[in-house]
Amino acid sequence: MKQRVSEGLLFLGFTGIASTLLLALLWAPSVSLEAFESPAAQRIFYWHVPAAWAAFIAFGALFIGSAGWLFKRSEVMWRLHTAGAEAGLATGLMTVWSGCVWGAAEWGTPWDWTDVRLNTFGLLTLLAVYLVLGRSSQPDGVETRDTFAAFGLYGFVLVPLTYVATRIWSIRHPGPVVGTGDEGSINGDMGLVLLLGALSFTVFIIGHIMNSMHVTSLEQRLERLQATMDKVI
Amino acid sequence: MAQPLLTADGIEVRRGMNVVLKDVTLHLHSGEVLALTGENGAGKSTLLETCARLLPLEQGRILHADVVVADHEGRRRATPLVLGLALQKNGMMGSEYVVEHLETAMAMSGRRVDPLPFLAALSLKHRAEDLVAHLSQGQARKVAVLAALLPAFAAKEPGLILLDEPAAGMDDASVSVLCEWIAQLRILGHGVMIGTHDQRMSNCATTHIDVSTFETTAATPNEPSSDPVAEAQPVKATSPASFGWKMQLRTLAWLNHNAVASLLTLGVLLSFGDLLDGLEDLQRYGFLLAPAFAAGLCGEAMVQASREERANAWWRAVADANPHSGILPLILGCLLTLLSTLSFSVAVEARIVVVGGLLTFVTWHIIRLLQESTDRLARPRAVFVGLLTPILILPYALLLDLLTR
Repeated sequence: MKQRVSEGLLFLGFTGIASTLLLALLWAPSVSLEAFESPAAQRIFYWHVPAAWAAFIAFGALFIGSAGWLFKRSEVMWRLHTAGAEAGLATGLMTVWSGCVWGAAEWGTPWDWTDVRLNTFGLLTLLAVYLVLGRSSQPDGVETRDTFAAFGLYGFVLVPLTYVATRIWSIRHPGPVVGTGDEGSINGDMGLVLLLGALSFTVFIIGHIMNSMHVTSLEQRLERLQATMDKVI
Repeated sequence: MAQPLLTADGIEVRRGMNVVLKDVTLHLHSGEVLALTGENGAGKSTLLETCARLLPLEQGRILHADVVVADHEGRRRATPLVLGLALQKNGMMGSEYVVEHLETAMAMSGRRVDPLPFLAALSLKHRAEDLVAHLSQGQARKVAVLAALLPAFAAKEPGLILLDEPAAGMDDASVSVLCEWIAQLRILGHGVMIGTHDQRMSNCATTHIDVSTFETTAATPNEPSSDPVAEAQPVKATSPASFGWKMQLRTLAWLNHNAVASLLTLGVLLSFGDLLDGLEDLQRYGFLLAPAFAAGLCGEAMVQASREERANAWWRAVADANPHSGILPLILGCLLTLLSTLSFSVAVEARIVVVGGLLTFVTWHIIRLLQESTDRLARPRAVFVGLLTPILILPYALLLDLLTR
């Protein structure tokens, strides 16, 4: 049943993301030609912003899973850690890649090493790569789980830092544009497409995390069966 | 009854996904020799390493004398006792000299005895000045076990000695000598715990514990045939930093691990010609400090080196820290920045040279901590710690920004 729900959410999320992209390319109004170096490239934000939102959800799951394993020794929480890392890797790469494309078009450079938000988000994605590759290289055990859960826990410090970076430091990365009440806020149609994107990515990432947790539980069951067979044979 | 030297209080320990020890309580008193027996996988090594504070506890706590040195909430305190430890692996780096390792082990207790008579008793006196790497397996084992016993011979107060399969690979004559020493240490009031399959070692014990069932049996050990005669003098303790510094200078690991990457960085920058002409200060400092930064990003060579024969675990148990290079990166960073400044033919600024040194020092030790964080893993070398090094690029950029203000 859970498997069907997660697959259903993944399908719904994919459909929503595809619809967002179609609306972004064909329906959403263009930005002011004077305000941007490369106005056409701005449409990538309908992908970039929801992906970043989904990444924060994934990293939140990673944090909760890490804390749950370290403090409660909960198997479910370890699965959540694993799923959060994998989902964080996927959505982190989506965000970084799309941001680089926009940066190259708008700023003339895909990356700025002095920009706090770019770097902290890049590090979060690297942390997810580290956790996913690291876990796959180690046998399952408390040593492996404790080590990677500790990284998941400490790495989460980067999430609020990334979120507030544009408010604290004067940097290149644009600040928040939705719900700020400022003059620089986006118009209604743009907001609608962004909202659809955010909802679709949220549904997608929840489905992804549920699916990942299910796969991890199947892996663990397989390992237990193999251990039982080792004793019988 | 007197306070035990060692108490395991309701401990639970996991290895991998298995609970190896569950609700185990035991005491080791002064003048007691405890032999842990049981089949492979029963938990002898796990119990010994837990008592040495090398494994985390799921439940319970470990006390050395009356001090809680480890508990299930992850708290860890230095042992108040003289601790002698021989793990299943020898806990020595191949680049150590035999007598040097013994002196280092004794220095942890603040006192030393002459190790040569002990080496002679094990037919190793002629190997005293050899590198550990040049010894046979059996010889290396003797040195590792001797390094666990000598601190107790030198100590004023009763100490704790933990031996895991001490007789592995030893000939009968050496095992007899070892049993005699253990009996002498028992008479001196030290507490000894031995994990063993070897009946000869079990015969040294006052108490046998079968780790599979935790059944305890009292035994009558052999009495020593002579009194201990070692005369001890005070000695300055060896710190992990001074040991690491010594190893770095002996092996030149810093050259291979850090300086080559730094010099290559400098070489690549120089190959662009008059690179610094017309650059802003921020960019100029960035190029001048890049070699020092590269040296730091390569991390600590001692982390890798001390994984040999689990030397890092031995250091963590007896000195509470892994060997590291101390202030070597500071000096190296200053020299590399000076070299970089001279190579670019710009005026030497003392401020930039010092900043280069500090940059290497801080970067080097942060990477060291990241490297050490994987020590508990089954396959620490399979983890890509390098993926986390970009965490230092932003601080580097901010440092350059600060320098130009």
